[in-house]
Amino acid sequence: MIISRNWLSQYIDLPDDINELIQTLTFSGIEVESVKEIPALPETVVTAKILSSEKIPGTEHLQLCQVDFGKETLQVVCGAPNCHTNMITVLAKVGTILPTLQIEANRIHGVESEGMLCSEKELGLSENHTGIIELPQDTHIGISVNEIYELPDIILELEITPNRPDLLGYIGIARDLSASLDRPLKLPAITKIGGENVPTIKLILELNDSEKCPRYTARIMDQIRVKESPLWLKNALIKSGFRPINNIVDVTNYVMLETGQPLHAFDYHKLKPIHPEDPYPAIIVRRAKPQEEFIALDGNKYYLDEEDLVIADGQKPSALAGIIGGRDTAVNNETTTIILESANFAPSTIRKTSLKYKISTDSSYHFERHLSPAYLEEVSNRAIELILKVAGGIVCNELYDAYPKPQKPLYLSIRPSRFEELIGYKLDIQLIKKYLIALGFQFIGLGPWQKDAIYEESLPKLLYQEQDKTSDKDLFDNPQMALYFLVPAYRIDITREADIIEELARLDGFDKIPQKKTIHPIMDWHAHYIKRKIEDYFRQVGFYEMINPSFIDPTKLEYFIEDKTEFDKKIIRIRNPQSSNQSAMRTNMLPQLLDNLLFNLNHSERNLKLMEMGKLYWKDSGKHYENLHLTAIMTGFNALDHWKAKNNAIDIYDVKGVIEGLLDQLGIPIDKMKNVHYPWLVEADNLAYFCNNQLCAYVGRLKAKTAEKFGIDITTLKQDIWILEVEVNTLIKLTRNHKTKFSPLPKFPSVIRDISFLINLSIPYAEIVNSIKQVEPYLIKEVNIFDEYRGKGIPNGWHSISLHIILQDCKKTLTEERVEQVIDSVRKMLENTWQIKMR
Amino acid sequence: MINNQLKNIAEQAKIDLKECRNHNDILNIRAKYLGKKSLVNSLYSQLRDLPEEERPSFGKKVNELRNELEKIIEEKEKEIKLQIVNAYDSVQAQDLTLPGVYILPGSLHPLTIIRRRMENIFISLGFQIVEGPDIEDEYHNFDALNTPEDHPSRNLADTFYLDNGYLLRTQTSTVQVRTMESFPPPIYIISPGRCYRNDKPDPSHSPVFHQVEGLVVDKGISMADLKDTLQFFAQAMFGPEVKSRIRPHFFPFTEPSAEMDISCVSCQGKGCRICKNSGWLELAGAGMVDPNVLDMMHIDNQIYSGYAFGIGIERIAMLKYNIPDMRILYENDVRMLRQFSRELI
Repeated sequence: MIISRNWLSQYIDLPDDINELIQTLTFSGIEVESVKEIPALPETVVTAKILSSEKIPGTEHLQLCQVDFGKETLQVVCGAPNCHTNMITVLAKVGTILPTLQIEANRIHGVESEGMLCSEKELGLSENHTGIIELPQDTHIGISVNEIYELPDIILELEITPNRPDLLGYIGIARDLSASLDRPLKLPAITKIGGENVPTIKLILELNDSEKCPRYTARIMDQIRVKESPLWLKNALIKSGFRPINNIVDVTNYVMLETGQPLHAFDYHKLKPIHPEDPYPAIIVRRAKPQEEFIALDGNKYYLDEEDLVIADGQKPSALAGIIGGRDTAVNNETTTIILESANFAPSTIRKTSLKYKISTDSSYHFERHLSPAYLEEVSNRAIELILKVAGGIVCNELYDAYPKPQKPLYLSIRPSRFEELIGYKLDIQLIKKYLIALGFQFIGLGPWQKDAIYEESLPKLLYQEQDKTSDKDLFDNPQMALYFLVPAYRIDITREADIIEELARLDGFDKIPQKKTIHPIMDWHAHYIKRKIEDYFRQVGFYEMINPSFIDPTKLEYFIEDKTEFDKKIIRIRNPQSSNQSAMRTNMLPQLLDNLLFNLNHSERNLKLMEMGKLYWKDSGKHYENLHLTAIMTGFNALDHWKAKNNAIDIYDVKGVIEGLLDQLGIPIDKMKNVHYPWLVEADNLAYFCNNQLCAYVGRLKAKTAEKFGIDITTLKQDIWILEVEVNTLIKLTRNHKTKFSPLPKFPSVIRDISFLINLSIPYAEIVNSIKQVEPYLIKEVNIFDEYRGKGIPNGWHSISLHIILQDCKKTLTEERVEQVIDSVRKMLENTWQIKMR
Repeated sequence: MINNQLKNIAEQAKIDLKECRNHNDILNIRAKYLGKKSLVNSLYSQLRDLPEEERPSFGKKVNELRNELEKIIEEKEKEIKLQIVNAYDSVQAQDLTLPGVYILPGSLHPLTIIRRRMENIFISLGFQIVEGPDIEDEYHNFDALNTPEDHPSRNLADTFYLDNGYLLRTQTSTVQVRTMESFPPPIYIISPGRCYRNDKPDPSHSPVFHQVEGLVVDKGISMADLKDTLQFFAQAMFGPEVKSRIRPHFFPFTEPSAEMDISCVSCQGKGCRICKNSGWLELAGAGMVDPNVLDMMHIDNQIYSGYAFGIGIERIAMLKYNIPDMRILYENDVRMLRQFSRELI
């Protein structure tokens, strides 16, 4: 809903600070979607009268006007088509600065112009630029336009949630604000309209479907004059996003904006009686007949069915109930007598029909949200009052009102104790009353709580009804003690205690809700996820997880040390071990895993991948350290027997693959690889991986002599034993700031080219790849090896390498020529740098 | 002569097309006859050298030739495509009883599987996982947990001692202490980890074992909450039919203290060898955090209360997987582990 701050302020005193208003609306549950300020115009923009206008010779449409703005008469050149003598319009004097232009004295076609006559658009009031503003003849001249247009103003766009149809009007919003701001609501005084007895103008009203139309009221007005609305009415509608039509339609829209209740006006004389001989026309609220034709206001023709509700006269539909009026009964400038409809329709029927014919109007929007039928007469009276003001005429005394089942007053009981249970803090009883009364609830007394809604007839005899005992706090020691309220009829959404509690919590402010449990984030989720990922990774690539005790035989650790004195300082011994082979905390898991290996080899398991992730323990200068580590062993064939693939004994590339796959999965780039020199690993058959100069992992082949110490005889085993060591804590640290973020997908396809060449075995693959990437770093995205061959047909000391080179330009599609050019440069580079032989 | 030349080109094209076997061949032929440097294009360039009056008729003939070539190349292309499609759509399979290819994964250790399941269950209840060191001082392992100086559990026969008063923690309750030292209530944590007690290995004991410790400190926490939590855990781990009970016991750091039993998962409470005919299996030690422990941690024991529990991971694994001897878990026999490769986690 679009509202004007000025209009809203008719019903309630608003805070001067717009931000305070926005804040209040937002935190009472009415979201402000946009705010548009219409600033005041300079005082040099005033109303003025065109005393005379004459065409400037030699121009097409320029007129020279003598313009009176009260103090003096100015000569102004105007090009607007609607400019004419005696017109009252808006003059911007010389020196005025408007949003888009500055008014200066100048000569147009040799004629002096001392100001500008303005359109609404030029003043920033609307988009209307068809001509200069024409004000009613009774407008005073020489007054500021700010007075006329009620400027400055602020236009707010509000999001009204579907449960609050009562907020679809200015009064509803003002009422809610009066509760949250604790300021009085100022409602327009609606006088009871008596009217005159006009025997010749009467109506037959029939309501045939009270399910779909719970209530229908109509009132007749005669001798009215349909014309353009006065300025205040037009302005009000424009500011709320409505287009002025004529004074009657404008009033119905104005009252809908004010109250939320849609109204409709029919031209009385265009309605037909049921029988031609009847003296009075009819309004029949009924289902449409199959295929019944209806022509809407906008000229569109619809063929209705029996599910649709129509407002018909004696012969045919004159409106699609609650959605759109009919063309043939619409009010126009000739209309003198109108029927003012103020009715209520069931939301479901409005929704179905509106969807079926794809007609959505302000009226259907309101009715779909379920309005109360209780106030139709009052709304109608408000409209009549305004119509009398803007269109003259008289009102007939008869109120036609079909209301077979009036909306029953609803009572609810609410326990202050329940508010505390549900919202989390105690709300003062007096505040409960104050908020609800401000919302239009009526407090009727205290009594024991009842779960269900209560109607008048079953209302219990309330305790303490006579004198208000709500300040007696002791009474509320009983948690079942409740306050009884009459729910205002317009709050159709409130049917249970919980609904009332929501209102109270909302008005008192959600910021008052205490946060009881401030649970501190203690857990290291990152480490948790990484540890699980590593466990899962090793399982998926075929490893069995070992769990060994934390203590160990220290002599076995000594096979894996470089410096005995260092080791003796590091090792943590147990003062009271169960046996000497469990007398120290492990600084290395390898001895235990080798024991595990032997154990399993002895059970005829030949192909083994074993790993353990656990803590290692050591001390340094009296301090104890515990570090999460992973050790793994691989031996035998890489995959189980399979008829399709030849089995391969695990070699360094399989072992490298485990580590490189792990680091890739964790997103850790390897920036350095080098050999380690540990006495238990075969020299050069090993490799350590670094990232940011931190050791991440190393792999290597266990020396036969070391294996022997664990009872593993390589000569009979005839298998390599590979060791993998992973610094789990380092991996956790290196990945701690990783964030997975989507990056826009490349719009242009990648191209794959293969190249094969012979190259000397002394040249490392990594260097070849790097040098290829260097050739065109922007285009070459990946270089992958897909074949390596040495032996028959290849000269000794050489091997053949086949690469996929993947090229992609993220800014355009690569042309064949460009790709060839890059591949050519790669070939030339390889030939020049490495003396390769292309194949 | 020109006519002959055109005719020869057409003839040669037909011969070439006969040799076509695949899509690539077609591409080559198209380049040879119709491409930029093709025979037909070179004919067009001859056009310039011809006398004016011969040009229209020659041009027409070359156009005809080009159309003809395009037509026959296209026909051949369609033919080759059809052959490929037909070959693709014909049977490829041989012996479908030969096994398919898939990668065999390894297995996590059953103690890891159970630990992770326990973590998941307690995370679902709002607990956070916190870990602490295995090597502890006497303060965190005993003093702060209300264990008197002369308590038997401090004996060398029960606890492994290191140098300078350090020891290997005898329960993960040490993490309770460390958490309460650093964070104010409300606290909802579990702490999985290794514990050490000087027990000789036997079917139900091991000097190293694993425990999940739980701690809750909040306002209004009662033994009823403890019962709920343990019952929820037992059913989430062993199934909805499992019943639980708690009975009085003693721990220095809880008051009242209790042990929690579940109905025997093997005989459903009827009585069997596993439950020693009692129908019940002991599962956890638990209780309300001793007011002295809260005091030591500077938590007001008149405002806050809490419960703690400790559950052995080995015990759960043995009951859940029907493992008769704890030592089996530490043999690391891959034949045992292989049985757990299909377990859900």
